[in-house]
Amino acid sequence: MNTLDTYAENTWCPGCGNFGILSAFKKAIIKLEEKGINREYIVISAGIGCHAKIFDYLNMSGLYSLHGRDIATVQGMKIANPELNVLTFSGDGNAMGEGLAHTIFAAKRNFDMTLILHNNGVYALTTGQYTPLSEKGWKGPSTPKGSVEEPLNALAIMLEAGATFIARGFPGKQAHLTDLMVKAIEHKGFSFIEILQPAVAYKDTWQFYRENTEILEKEPKSFDEAMKNVKRKDKLPIGIFYRIKKSTFHEELYGNWNPVRNRISREKRFHLLKSYFT
Amino acid sequence: MSLIRGGHNFSVISTATRDIHSHYMKADLIINSDKRSYEMHVDELDKNGLIIYNSDEIDTAEGIGVPFYSEAKKFPAKNLLYGVGAVVILACSIGISKNDLNEIIKKEYPSFVEDNISFANAIYDIVFPTLSNKFEIENGDKKRPILTGNQSIALGAIAGGLDIYYGYPMTPASSILHILAAQAERFGLAVVHPENEIAVINMAIGSAFAGAKAMVGSSGGGFALMVEGLSLAGMAEAPILCVLSMRPGPATGVPTYTEQGDLNFALNAGHGEFLRIVACPGSIKEAFYLTAELLDLVWKFQTPGIILTEKHLSESSMTIEMEMKNIKWAEPKYHKSGDYKRYLYTEDGISPLLFPPSKEIIKWTSYEHDELGITTEEPDIIAKMHEKRNKKNESIISFLKQLNTVNVYGNKGPLIFTYGSTTMSVLEALHYGDIEAIVIQPIYLRPLPVWELEKYKNEHIITVEMSKIGQFTSLLKEKANIKSKNLINKYDGRPFDPIELAKKIKEVI
Repeated sequence: MNTLDTYAENTWCPGCGNFGILSAFKKAIIKLEEKGINREYIVISAGIGCHAKIFDYLNMSGLYSLHGRDIATVQGMKIANPELNVLTFSGDGNAMGEGLAHTIFAAKRNFDMTLILHNNGVYALTTGQYTPLSEKGWKGPSTPKGSVEEPLNALAIMLEAGATFIARGFPGKQAHLTDLMVKAIEHKGFSFIEILQPAVAYKDTWQFYRENTEILEKEPKSFDEAMKNVKRKDKLPIGIFYRIKKSTFHEELYGNWNPVRNRISREKRFHLLKSYFT
Repeated sequence: MSLIRGGHNFSVISTATRDIHSHYMKADLIINSDKRSYEMHVDELDKNGLIIYNSDEIDTAEGIGVPFYSEAKKFPAKNLLYGVGAVVILACSIGISKNDLNEIIKKEYPSFVEDNISFANAIYDIVFPTLSNKFEIENGDKKRPILTGNQSIALGAIAGGLDIYYGYPMTPASSILHILAAQAERFGLAVVHPENEIAVINMAIGSAFAGAKAMVGSSGGGFALMVEGLSLAGMAEAPILCVLSMRPGPATGVPTYTEQGDLNFALNAGHGEFLRIVACPGSIKEAFYLTAELLDLVWKFQTPGIILTEKHLSESSMTIEMEMKNIKWAEPKYHKSGDYKRYLYTEDGISPLLFPPSKEIIKWTSYEHDELGITTEEPDIIAKMHEKRNKKNESIISFLKQLNTVNVYGNKGPLIFTYGSTTMSVLEALHYGDIEAIVIQPIYLRPLPVWELEKYKNEHIITVEMSKIGQFTSLLKEKANIKSKNLINKYDGRPFDPIELAKKIKEVI
């Protein structure tokens, strides 16, 4: 079997939370293969940002997209060939800023995809500006006196928008995160995992998250209960907050059809077209 | 303005038993269902023409009064009937019998059909004595389809192998989305209207990655939002076909009128250096074949292509004869066997395609990359990849040399250069004015087929286009060193009228 690694030089800062995301993801792929989902049926994308470097480090097929557009990219892949499992790695600036409309609509249409949000609360690759999820007062080069905006709550937005699988993980809890990734990819519909990712050069949150995260004791039973948990501030719960079964976008659009596999032949198209020209 | 049920709206119909290329504004028959319409259009009446006015709104006027309101008032759906009234008057004046008319109404106006027929018959009886057969139209030799430009583009894409269409509504491209959505099931297409044009182009690129022939469409403003993705398609070498239907700009401009003001934008859209293909159909018929041809070209050369057109072509309807032959089918270069490299260096710059699922790794990317699609900053690889992509600029020229890239009409007289739907106006003007001229219409605008145009380098030429600054005229000068002696341009949103254009051409030849 091919290795999941490439020859690309890993340039994340030593100690970055992204390493933990990468290793959990590779373990998740192995687990999925044990369950019969082969890696060639999983295609990936990424936006632009530190998170996105993961694309070059994974020996998997996909499309390294533009900032914020990866969420649209993977939907296009799935619409073309629904036998593919599609997944994108997004940063918090990527998915909740530049690509927010795509993210909300992907949830709204319960698109069968997985969005892994590397939430480090900072635009790290562009040297530390505040993001849509940064706390008020974050001092970055674009907000030297501190950001004056309140942060968004990504999970609450996703829940409200219609996501059918919502979870939060932390790279410091590897087995737990790996399990979340496996379940998110297995989920039919829009699955969203917010990963609390320390960005050591700007926000070394390792210690904070170790002290303040706690694994959800049991999966909330209702939307309201899920909402209450994703909004908790005393502790940061990690685990699956919400998981429901619902028909997905491509199923609603064309049922069991597969545009690339079932393509109607040229001859048949010509035959059908003749009726428009007489 | 974009109107649904408010404001003033109108349609212009011209007919002949010969090929007719454009409509005439001088009318034999003008039908107005309100006073405002009468006042706006009365000057467009030909000297032997007839005008119909609404006698419930106007007491006395030149022409024939028809009491639209009093007749319509008898029916519950009264507001929906005026349009039918106009159809009835037209039908009566060209010699369609009441029975045939009723059949047409049943088919075309199925809601409130009983009311429609009763109303139609009442109007028919009112106008029959004065109008019956007034403008009798000979039957043509056979029945032919009537298509809009957007129908032609949509059907051409289907014929050429389209799998998926993405679009966000924007006049005058919206009807491509509507037509394809209505045909999706029949032809096994996926047709999707996502959140915005940025999603449109990026979904299309994702679909191309998975092996689907995808097309997108919009007008200037929506296309502007797609430009970021167009550049991604240039780098990732994603085959994407985009329809850009122009309306007067800048910005929101004049949504339901026509112009050719986005030519420069289409030719240069997208940051960075990459091959863009831009072609512009000169007729509704040509739009069909050209759309299929461009779908093939973007897949052969793995790059974005633009079908540039105008509102005038997109939304005009025309009787045409379509043959189901010489239609291109999108056929890319496929990877056959062995280790796969997405961006393999090749002689012609084209790397073979392979689609997931596959044991091979297929990486498309927006970053500069090596042959496997891994990000690079190595100077020699950056340069080599630039050179690889640039080879496609050369290979497409040798390929285009085998295709018909320029239409030439006529064989003597002054040289008139034009493009797009303005070609239809020029051809009709020449017919009307009995002017002998050679009309040269480049179908491809990028790359501009200079090999075909070289022979005109030292000639005096006239250019006709719908742009204030003469973008097409400048393009000919810049790329083919052809200098226009006279630019005839129009930029008031209305296409050229053949009579007016014939006069202008006569003034300069």
